[in-house]
Amino acid sequence: MKAGRFPASLATPVLLAFAVFIVAPCVMLLVKGLEPTAETGEWPDFTNVLGVFDSKVGQQALNRTIRISLIVTAVCMLAGYPVALFIARCAPRWRGLLLAVVIFPFLISAVVRAFGWTVLLGDSGLANKGLIALGLIERPIALVQNEIGIIVGETHLLMPYMILSLLAVLQRIDPNLRHAAESLGASPVSVFWRIVVPLTLPGLLTGTLLVFSLAMTAFATPFLLGGGRTPILTTLLYDYAFTLFDWRLAAAIGIVLLILGILFVTIHRFVSSRGMRSYG
Amino acid sequence: MADFFLRSGRGLVTVMAVFWLVFLVAPIVVTLASSFTSSTYLTFPPPGWSVRWYLSAFESEWVWSTFWNSVVIAVVSTAIAVALGIAAARVLARHRFYGRGLFEYAVLSPLIIPGVVVGFALLNVSVLIEAQDAGLLNLIIGHTMVTTPFTLRAVWSSMAGNDISLEEAAQSLGATRWSAFWLIVFPLIVPGIVAGAIIAFTFSFNDVTISAFLSAREARTLPVELMSHIEYLPDPTPAAVSSLMIIITLAFFLLVERTVGLGVFADR
Repeated sequence: MKAGRFPASLATPVLLAFAVFIVAPCVMLLVKGLEPTAETGEWPDFTNVLGVFDSKVGQQALNRTIRISLIVTAVCMLAGYPVALFIARCAPRWRGLLLAVVIFPFLISAVVRAFGWTVLLGDSGLANKGLIALGLIERPIALVQNEIGIIVGETHLLMPYMILSLLAVLQRIDPNLRHAAESLGASPVSVFWRIVVPLTLPGLLTGTLLVFSLAMTAFATPFLLGGGRTPILTTLLYDYAFTLFDWRLAAAIGIVLLILGILFVTIHRFVSSRGMRSYG
Repeated sequence: MADFFLRSGRGLVTVMAVFWLVFLVAPIVVTLASSFTSSTYLTFPPPGWSVRWYLSAFESEWVWSTFWNSVVIAVVSTAIAVALGIAAARVLARHRFYGRGLFEYAVLSPLIIPGVVVGFALLNVSVLIEAQDAGLLNLIIGHTMVTTPFTLRAVWSSMAGNDISLEEAAQSLGATRWSAFWLIVFPLIVPGIVAGAIIAFTFSFNDVTISAFLSAREARTLPVELMSHIEYLPDPTPAAVSSLMIIITLAFFLLVERTVGLGVFADR
């Protein structure tokens, strides 16, 4: 097909909907976030957006967001890899069930999952009971309403993305490669490190980017499991909008999150197009 | 020696995999089990069993009113998202024009923009035009926009393998463009439409992020209302409501598994 006429009758309603309900609201958000703080100031005024990085609350929230996202991504990587390996090599009739175990939780509402975690991680929850029984702690420790709760909840929220990204590449590995290496005398350990790991790197990379960017922008899970004293960027935006009613600052955080979102997709596109080229 | 490494390596992978698979189902199992508690506070395992919290949930006014809000929002937004998704998929699958890349970016943009930003940006506009009290309408608009990329992708992938010559043959035999679409193209993309609609419906029904910003006093969704009850009420009714939501999602999940397969979730 060569470049043709613009399919106006089909494309116009779609474009109109996105222009009115996505593009225009985002532009209005930009306008709001760059509104001058002082009466005499001129538009655009970057004080609010820079204030997200300058103020103590904003800086803490930003640092916490990055710290939590890094930890969650690392845990998802370390946990997702063995799960993906296990699912890839188990018998087909079990594979369907295990895949269901991975996919089903991520269809369930974040509220419901956070609720499950508050029960599990509460003072009289199974996690504390287990840790006491193991003799690691003497009395219950706080596992929710703090960063630990957010990390556990987000790991649960995002691990399926990592597992599915890894499975997508694991299933494409030709079993003959492994057989060939083994028949040439490679040990199982070197087959793993020199064949399986390099071939799964593209999946690991896409999974990592996906998990990290979704961790940065998650809202319901940190809102419910983090409590009021551990705001991250998204919950701080909500606080500014509904508790402090400072919509200029809320919009400023929105602008920061928007930029982060676009940044990650650009990196993702760049990485996946390069990955395609080198791994065919 | 190699054998030892192989076996211990495999054993380690199995142990780790089983641990994390249990981790994935744990909150779901615990929610379901603790909803059947007989006590007035939440513990796991429950001291005794009863269905009193389900009765309490069914008798609660907030559960029913917000449940119907959620159903209406999910049904209407899914229907519009499917229509937009079919139109957009058709544009992307059949037409080449200048700005096609931009069109694709625009339609998939809700996947790039964080949910809190979409929610707050729409709220900001609805306040500017003094429409913030039209809660249901705002929620339907928000949910439609964020679910359209899902319906688009599902329909688009079901159009990918279709042969354009079938449609051209029908048209050369006298079919109009519309009847060629309905008789030839539509039956072929039904699986994509069903898959997209189910994903969109589940997303809308379970969404908290967009809904937390757009819910007005008179129009709250079940997950948002549930969220405030979890925050403030130390009573197992939310456990029963959460379990009912798990069961509804499970029904949809099994429907997808039986009809179009789990692949639709895996190719995101």
